[in-house]
Amino acid sequence: MSGTVSSAGPVRTPRRIPTRTPHQAVRAGNSAKKYGGSLAGIPWATPALGLVGVLLVYPFFRSAYGSLFQDNGFTSSYTGFDNYSRLADDPIFGRSVLNTLMWVIGTLLLPVLAGLLIAVATHRVRLGGWAQLVIVLPYAISGTATAVLWNFMLTSDGAVNQVLRGVGLDSLARPWLLEWPENTISMIVASTWQATGLNVVLFAIGLRAIPRETVEAAELDGATGWRMFRYVTLPQLRAVTVVVVGMAIVNSLKAFDMIWILTKGGPSRSSETLALTMYRETFRLFHVGYGSAIALVLSVIVVASSWLYLRRQMPSSGRD
Amino acid sequence: MRQAPKAPSRSSAGHALRNLFIVGCVLLWLVPVYLLLVNAMTPPTSYTGEPDWSPQGFALFDNLEVAWDQAGIGDSFLNSMLYATVCGLAAVVVAAMAAFAVVVLPIPKPSLWFWVIYSGTLFPLQIFLAPLFGMYADANLYDTRLGLMLVYAAWAVPFAFFLIRNQMTTMPPEVTEAAMLDGASFRRIFWRIHVPLMSSSLGAAFIFQFTAVWNDLLFGITLSRSPEVQPVMAALTTLNNAYSSSGPPVILAGALIVSLPTLLVFLVFRGLFLRGIAATAR
Repeated sequence: MSGTVSSAGPVRTPRRIPTRTPHQAVRAGNSAKKYGGSLAGIPWATPALGLVGVLLVYPFFRSAYGSLFQDNGFTSSYTGFDNYSRLADDPIFGRSVLNTLMWVIGTLLLPVLAGLLIAVATHRVRLGGWAQLVIVLPYAISGTATAVLWNFMLTSDGAVNQVLRGVGLDSLARPWLLEWPENTISMIVASTWQATGLNVVLFAIGLRAIPRETVEAAELDGATGWRMFRYVTLPQLRAVTVVVVGMAIVNSLKAFDMIWILTKGGPSRSSETLALTMYRETFRLFHVGYGSAIALVLSVIVVASSWLYLRRQMPSSGRD
Repeated sequence: MRQAPKAPSRSSAGHALRNLFIVGCVLLWLVPVYLLLVNAMTPPTSYTGEPDWSPQGFALFDNLEVAWDQAGIGDSFLNSMLYATVCGLAAVVVAAMAAFAVVVLPIPKPSLWFWVIYSGTLFPLQIFLAPLFGMYADANLYDTRLGLMLVYAAWAVPFAFFLIRNQMTTMPPEVTEAAMLDGASFRRIFWRIHVPLMSSSLGAAFIFQFTAVWNDLLFGITLSRSPEVQPVMAALTTLNNAYSSSGPPVILAGALIVSLPTLLVFLVFRGLFLRGIAATAR
């Protein structure tokens, strides 16, 4: 293998970002006095804090507070946790949770698994980079445009049914977007087309970071094919897998554009996820407080899932 | 790499299977793109109601024109170009300043400020929408360009801040210390030392946030209504809702138009783009 190493050029290993608390170059000592003392950073951070504080952080707390009110956009009255207890009895919310769960599981099964397989299959293969590029391209397209394209594929006289009829599988052809659970499943497939590329890129980064020596040592021990993949490659990909899985879960929870274009959550609200239910309750039915309660539930789930991968890359807040 | 003489230890059947898998995936991914291109070329009048699998005439430019002019994609295209460019730039500058404050300058509780700013990208947009709508209605910002630009800039700051801050922590503090010994002001240190040294990170952050703003649908449909203000994805949604009347070729041409800028940015700046992705995966 040594012959190939020299021809491969420098092996790119990702530089690790030091996770120490950032070392303030300018300490609040004597030298800093003339620059404005220990608060010199405040004016520099103010524009960011102002924008984010007024337009994101404040609305967040306002939403959390608003979820305690019965609010139709004109009048509102305090009802405590009534909105939350209503969630438990609402069959639409139940269906929405089920659909959201399908999205999470489907996203883990399809784009993540496909991403891993494609990354491994194209790793160090001639023209593999081009194959990866083709699969990554949809990632640069918006969810809206992807949905418009897949509407063309999935609509009742669309391309998918045309193909199925063309190859004699008429019994499989169906109005994909008009029946549950087919609509949720086919939208997950459509989002697979778009989302897999990101996972391929991330897994490819992880694969390139595997030390050449590890692979060579395993080859000397006679590991090939499946055993190499299972006992060498996969364990080495653990770190990147955590990130991919975490991001995939969060993205599937946030999925909105695709569903809004393809089914608007319908028919009769059967394909709504939490992101859609919140939007419809708030802006179509004007149940603002109820919608805020759903938004808060969704946020808690999203942040909890983000924590999976975030704690790895955050500034040490409590580790040292 | 594959031609290396060491390869035969693996079975050639496995190789064939792997190549078949790759080719299959690539074809599967290309079929929708092919259908998009072919059907966006079909003249709307000769569209049969079912997707065409081979070119039926060449009316691509007519369809693009109809989508651009009559369906109003053109106006919102220019709107979105304004939003994405201005808000992307503003967010990168604001985020770089905040990163400078948190990493380099003396500031009490830097990690608290980090979390306050970064939290903006953690939550789903839904949690911001209802209060934003109310605030915008009260402040007469609903359905205005300024209103959308403010919210896009604010929304783009957190992730840009995250990327830039991570890169800034890898810069040796001695650089700043040396500049300070030479008597440089903070402003000078920021613009003359940090910004040039971080230019590729700043570029990656801009490209990411340009794409994010360009691709946004949810803020667009929530905080604006009139065609003169709406961003491009909202306009495409409106066009798509008229599926039967305007006909798939025009709609697909519209999808093509709105995808071109981000596709171009991605293809031209692929390195920077992948850098941004890689930075999230560390």
